[in-house]
Amino acid sequence: MAQVEFQNVVKSYGAFEAVKSVSFTVEDGEFVALVGPSGCGKTTTLNLVAGLLDLTSGDIKVSGKTISDLDPKDRDIAMVFQNYALYPNKTVQQNLAFPLKMRKVPKRDIGAKVAEAARLLEITHLLDRYPRELSGGQQQRVALGRALVRDPQVFLMDEPLSNLDAKLRVQMRSELKRFHQDLSATIIYVTHDQLEAMTMADKMAVMSGGVLQQYDAPERIFEEPANTFVAGFVGSPSMNLLPATAVERDGAVYATGDGWELVLAPRNAASARASSGPGIILGARHSSLGLHDTETPGCIQARVFTVEPTGDITFVHVDVGDSTFVISVDPERRIAADQTVWIEFDQNKLHVFDAQTEKRIAPG
Amino acid sequence: MNSSTGRKPTPRGLFGRIADHRLDYLYILPAIGVMLLVIAYPIYYTFYLSFFRTPPSLAMSDKVFNGIGNYITILTSESFHEVTINTVVWTVWSTFFATALGLGAALVLNRQFAGRGVLRGLLLIPYVISAVAASYIWRWIYHSDFGVLGAILNRLGIIDGKLNLLDNVNLVLPSLIVVNVWKEFPFAMIMILAGLQTVPDQLLKAARVDGAGAFHRFLHVTLPHLKGVMVITVLLLFVANLNHFTIPWIMTGGGPAGASDIWITQIYQIAFGRIRFGLASAYSVILFAVMVVIGYFYVRALTGNDDVRRRG
Amino acid sequence: MSRRSYNAGWSLTGWVFLILLLIFAVAPMLWMLITSFKSQFAALKYPPEFIPSNPNLEQYERLLSPKNEVGRQFLRYMANSIWVSTATTILGVAVAVPAAYAFARFRFPGRQALFFSVLFRNMFPAVVFLMPLFIMMRWMGLVNTYSSLIITYLTFGLPLSIWLLKGFYDNIPIELEQAARIDGCTRFQAFYLIVMPLSAPGIIATAIYSFITAWNEYVYALTFLNDDQKLTLPVGLQRFFTEYATNWPGLMAASFIMSVPVVVMFLILQKYFVRALTEGAVKA
Repeated sequence: MAQVEFQNVVKSYGAFEAVKSVSFTVEDGEFVALVGPSGCGKTTTLNLVAGLLDLTSGDIKVSGKTISDLDPKDRDIAMVFQNYALYPNKTVQQNLAFPLKMRKVPKRDIGAKVAEAARLLEITHLLDRYPRELSGGQQQRVALGRALVRDPQVFLMDEPLSNLDAKLRVQMRSELKRFHQDLSATIIYVTHDQLEAMTMADKMAVMSGGVLQQYDAPERIFEEPANTFVAGFVGSPSMNLLPATAVERDGAVYATGDGWELVLAPRNAASARASSGPGIILGARHSSLGLHDTETPGCIQARVFTVEPTGDITFVHVDVGDSTFVISVDPERRIAADQTVWIEFDQNKLHVFDAQTEKRIAPG
Repeated sequence: MNSSTGRKPTPRGLFGRIADHRLDYLYILPAIGVMLLVIAYPIYYTFYLSFFRTPPSLAMSDKVFNGIGNYITILTSESFHEVTINTVVWTVWSTFFATALGLGAALVLNRQFAGRGVLRGLLLIPYVISAVAASYIWRWIYHSDFGVLGAILNRLGIIDGKLNLLDNVNLVLPSLIVVNVWKEFPFAMIMILAGLQTVPDQLLKAARVDGAGAFHRFLHVTLPHLKGVMVITVLLLFVANLNHFTIPWIMTGGGPAGASDIWITQIYQIAFGRIRFGLASAYSVILFAVMVVIGYFYVRALTGNDDVRRRG
Repeated sequence: MSRRSYNAGWSLTGWVFLILLLIFAVAPMLWMLITSFKSQFAALKYPPEFIPSNPNLEQYERLLSPKNEVGRQFLRYMANSIWVSTATTILGVAVAVPAAYAFARFRFPGRQALFFSVLFRNMFPAVVFLMPLFIMMRWMGLVNTYSSLIITYLTFGLPLSIWLLKGFYDNIPIELEQAARIDGCTRFQAFYLIVMPLSAPGIIATAIYSFITAWNEYVYALTFLNDDQKLTLPVGLQRFFTEYATNWPGLMAASFIMSVPVVVMFLILQKYFVRALTEGAVKA
């Protein structure tokens, strides 16, 4: 297994830059999720590692050695594709054996390795079938097996679960995670599903517009999002973002908006002062907000838009000025649409972003 | 895929992109090369030669520039008028009947019944066999002394005495058209049949639910859907017929008295019978111009028509 | 009339039409076959015998026996035809496959224009190009060689082959090739080991089409070849006819033999051939 180093990686098509100077390091044995909305450059980045695309500039190193000039076949990486890319005219056995055959592994060893991979993934009974005779989940396992047999330095996975139905996806998610732990493999995993990334990865690389927004452990990204994009992208439902103006009055800092005002606690006041201008954006997770039926001091008045019971938790959508907040409440609570409510902020969990740069300002 | 090593900044502009993709062109080079050799050059050379009077010896260095003289000679010749009428009659009726029979056959074959595949195969055979063989088969059938067609018509009492088709100036062209239709209707059939398979089943069911009978379903659902395929089929047949050489050449050689002479047999006669390549080239250019117009509609039908693109 | 009986009437008309059409299509070929079993003399009876009173294989024996002059000649024509058609087919596939692949996969400048210029050829039947090609082949010293025919025949099948195969390659996910390259293939191996087998039906279809068109071609063979020993079957048949004018059974037997390879090939591989013909029209 190996470490993968991205050094100022750029990929451009004519004037369009799909990947803009991305640098980060995937440590040996780490499971890193490349996550972001479609078109953010994550798959391009993965294809650059695979060698399916050529770098425009920068370098990619595996275990300290540059691989940028190598052909895909010489990079000692394996890849699992979104559509599995199983060879339709080969049986499962032949699919698994193919990468070994191409590498001129002796016939006897091929049989043993294929059998071992099949046993590990519990697909031994499928070896004589053709891909079209397999279910989505089984194809997924075969694809994984084909990557596994070679014992590569790095596994690349391009949205491998997105073609599965919801239930199977959850199951495969835990299996993949287990697979990673057992093999302590270096895995770079592309997904647009932040939940998948959160649950599986050791580290997340959040990308948007070809730019690496934040690279950190999932819980850190969740708790300390670097900017409003990451804050809005990670977590479900996403973080509530409320544009406001910071006003200093009587030694206290108030965040004000269209018909509301909130006095900021000292840690947040310090952040607001550090902003490049009076414009700030408040960020609050649904769980850090409380709802009151009656007027409460230090709360913002709002109006309920809809109520979404999900069973063990109920999400209340409320309108604050031009923004809509999603707040989770106990399912026992009786709240009706159009009701007036008062929102209470847990200021220890409140985030302050600079409206100009959209970057988070660490609490003072 | 681009072949640049990736480290260099990508060159901009068209030439840069061409350079980026230079290896891609190797893949199409053989195909384009042979097409250029066998098509582009001949087109050019035909135009060029059409302005020259050429010697019958084929020593092309002795050719004499003649301006549009060849064109004038053709357009003012006595035979041109008659041959053009023959060409139109031959092309239009061949295309019409082949398409009509093909459409009928396709509609009948578009149902599920036992032996459908065998039937389709049998109906397609005339299209597959060589036009030379077809010409001889029909010549034998039409034979004025021993032909089976005359014998049958005699027995049925439709005619009395000899049936003279290929030596009769009025009947020769229709007789050839029958042969051509025999050979071509399977092509129309198979094209239209493929088109029919793209008619969405749901649409037909919906029409049925709406109370449309078989005829109305055909008129309002099937036929509009077939438009694209029909256009392409008709255009392809039209051009094929305009240039159909083998059947008239082998069956009558253009006779009797030029009654079955069409442009393409005339051109061949002028070029390889009378060895007047310049004149024949001018004739070809006229034919070619007609085809370019049709070709334009063909490519447009292939690329522009949504009905054609959709499938299933 | 009730709708049901109206539909039934419609259906009956269809069946009658189909039977008449079948007679129209098959009867001439049947007559060819029947005639070919007659003797030269028996064929010239009037009215003709619909069932030969004395059926025999005399004509076939003569044509297929290398022992007599006619047979030698006929077999030579057949060998020539086989050679020209096979060479055309193999070269055609070899040229069409990379071109179709490039048109499907690569995004080089001019791709669309080149693709449609190739297709445009489909519009132009051979004969228009006959004269200039004849002159060109004379310059190149290729008149009376098979190369002249093979080069020309190549272009008959190419547009269709490229179109058809491009359709196949368009439908093969690029991830399969990427997977293969990661699994240790060079780009060529990825194509050869993974993509080629998947496009086999398309290759078969284009091969049959090329073979049949080459086998049946008449005008170019008539013009480019003048050595009696080199003729292909269609031209040979004509030569045969002019020399043995009154031997209709012989001519019919020769026509039949000439039709057998393409008809058999066609019947076995019908679905591929039909696909080749129709692919362009119903799928762009």
